[in-house]
Amino acid sequence: MMTNEIHDVLIIGSGHSGGMAAKILTEAGIRCLMLNAGPVADITRDAERMPASDLPYRGFRPPGRVDHIAQANEFNVNVWVDEQEVPYTIEPGNPYSWVRVRLFGGRSLFWSRQSFRLSDYEFKCKSHDGFGEDWPIGHADLAPYYSRVERIFRVAGALDGPPQMPDGAFILDDDPWSPSMQRFIDAARPRNIPVCKQRRALGVNGLASSVNLLLPDAEQTGNLRSIANAVVREITVDKNTGLPDGCNFVDRITGREMSVKARVVVLAAGTLESTRLLLNSGLANSSGVLGHYLTDQIYGAGVVASVPEARNRKGALIMGGGAIVPRFRNIDTKSDMFLRGYAFNTTSMMGPLGARNFAAYGAELEKKLEEYYGSGFQMTLMGEVLGRYENHVRIDKDKVDAWDIPVLHIDTKYSDNEYNMAKDAVAVASELCESAGFEVLSKNEVPNPPGYSIHELGTCRMGDDPKKSVLNKWNQSHDHKNLFVVDASSFTSGGWQNPTMTILSLSMRASEYLASEMNKGNI
Amino acid sequence: MKRRDFVRTLVSFFVAGKAAFSQQQRVSDPTLPPPAPVPWYTGLNSHTPIPATELADHAAISELTFFTPLEMRTLTRLSDVLMPPLNGKPGAVKAQTPMFLDFLIGSSPEPRRKIYSGGLDWLEESAQAKYKTGFAQLDDAEAGELIKPWLRTWMSDHEPIEAHADFINIAHDDIRNATVNSKAWDKVPSVGAEPSTEVDVYWLPIEPDIYGMNPAYAHTAPHVLAQPKDGQKMPMYKR
Repeated sequence: MMTNEIHDVLIIGSGHSGGMAAKILTEAGIRCLMLNAGPVADITRDAERMPASDLPYRGFRPPGRVDHIAQANEFNVNVWVDEQEVPYTIEPGNPYSWVRVRLFGGRSLFWSRQSFRLSDYEFKCKSHDGFGEDWPIGHADLAPYYSRVERIFRVAGALDGPPQMPDGAFILDDDPWSPSMQRFIDAARPRNIPVCKQRRALGVNGLASSVNLLLPDAEQTGNLRSIANAVVREITVDKNTGLPDGCNFVDRITGREMSVKARVVVLAAGTLESTRLLLNSGLANSSGVLGHYLTDQIYGAGVVASVPEARNRKGALIMGGGAIVPRFRNIDTKSDMFLRGYAFNTTSMMGPLGARNFAAYGAELEKKLEEYYGSGFQMTLMGEVLGRYENHVRIDKDKVDAWDIPVLHIDTKYSDNEYNMAKDAVAVASELCESAGFEVLSKNEVPNPPGYSIHELGTCRMGDDPKKSVLNKWNQSHDHKNLFVVDASSFTSGGWQNPTMTILSLSMRASEYLASEMNKGNI
Repeated sequence: MKRRDFVRTLVSFFVAGKAAFSQQQRVSDPTLPPPAPVPWYTGLNSHTPIPATELADHAAISELTFFTPLEMRTLTRLSDVLMPPLNGKPGAVKAQTPMFLDFLIGSSPEPRRKIYSGGLDWLEESAQAKYKTGFAQLDDAEAGELIKPWLRTWMSDHEPIEAHADFINIAHDDIRNATVNSKAWDKVPSVGAEPSTEVDVYWLPIEPDIYGMNPAYAHTAPHVLAQPKDGQKMPMYKR
């Protein structure tokens, strides 16, 4: 049925940020239309359990479709955005791994579920070290929303965080440390390096996605309608008011051009897709900073070690468990090598060690793998990347995607700050492992290319000054009062933390503000 | 008349009589509709046997498309040295890993192809220089003399980038993974720390209309709708 209906709110994107916006707005009685660029994934229909030996590429990533996605393999190749269908361009020599999912629910289907709050060391970063900009909000502003999100997502953790890792409304983890983890803690303590319990969303049945924790609530209200395979071409503008009034989209399957009208537009397409859409629409950029200050987190550097006493199958009572080592650099002391800091994911492993940890092959390698089985101890880095103006995205006018929509050009690279941070992290990790009596088997101090962490942040940052930011403290465009951007593009700075809890909390807070303003008739 | 023939005659009489009666009834009642045609797809249901198929790899061979015959001989020997048959498990050669790599590397981006072509050529040249014979003819110890200096430890996604070490370690990793994920390896149970063939959830191409169109999915339960429709009971997730 063709319709001239004007929806209350148009939500573009269905991941964590779009799902939260839909839940909050529909529960406030606001009628929403959600568009998602891809189909609905149904594991009962779209997936089956198989051995790699029955797949034509034996589990290897099929070449050509998702070459920039290190996480891709033959099992999951069909869940990522096909880089031939929706390409992007980069500066020669500056690789970027843009890892995208357009299924309904987006990347909320597949995230690692590590769940941290930002602290005021991030929100008020400039006040602390002079670099970048402070956020227009602090932890106290977001804390009530963090708590509600933590309850919805059932975050497990302990109340053991130092000030740089605020505690939350957790399902308490009071499991004792394993002996190998305790040895690691004992090695860290004299160096004033905190070791805390991991914080992870349990979700329901292991899934902590918008499709099971947010969208059902929104649909239950009867106020949410959703369209799949709707690839948004541009946000449209009312010629009389100059305000956004809907969007034009193309049906992914048929290529049919369609449009919808709405009083308010909420962008939740994921950091770079939201910014691409604004750039292609010519909106929200009176500041000139739209697309700039792209940041993420450095991943890939770390250490793999072995606990000698656990070798030869003696690790059952020694190994197991994991920890988060929150940022400890540039808190009370000041490094002359880099600003900000990094955290370690630390895991005491019960299973096999990878063959890459041994410079051997054939029978010698198999012997090593048997001896070292169940003795692995791994530390990997999550480090803050500084938000710099020159790290940016823009529209590539010479290339379009499968629906003739101009693609994004990504121009970003890491600086000495990030490289020095990674070197320091690997030196510290090696020192801690050796102090604990572990044998370091392999190490890497080179970060993966930008984007690898799947934590792209910024490019549409929030701030109090409309000349230096795109959004205000409510995730609302400084230029268009009925345009909100609720995903991680709104971040003013990064931090070392997995950003999901912050994305969800910001979306919840912004959506409650929007509902309140709509009910008052201000929007 | 034998008893068996008598019974057969008796049965024929009754069957013929019943058919004639049925025909008479249909002719005598023309208002009854003809039998409804049965849609063909109702025969494709959860009880319908699905033909068993297998991967072409398991039953067919392919031509060399990327490596030269000399490179393939070098790669085959390298594969045999790095991943020999051990403890009843097949080696890389029996797993047809070299021919699989001809397919995989041949369709990979240019940098990957260069690492392999350059690496195999270097290995052959090194064998000729040191032993005056091709790499394919070297025994295990001789091959080891050329390989071992370049073995490195490394973490995921950070292959060695040093010349020669890059090829040796990348090829070792690929040969090992391709062999472990082969049908030949999968058929033999793994013991101890021996790796097993990877098993995981494979995602098919995801399209929106496949559920309605493809009878292969008719046996699967419909996915739970978040919004109840037509009196369907609404399941709620426990919080």
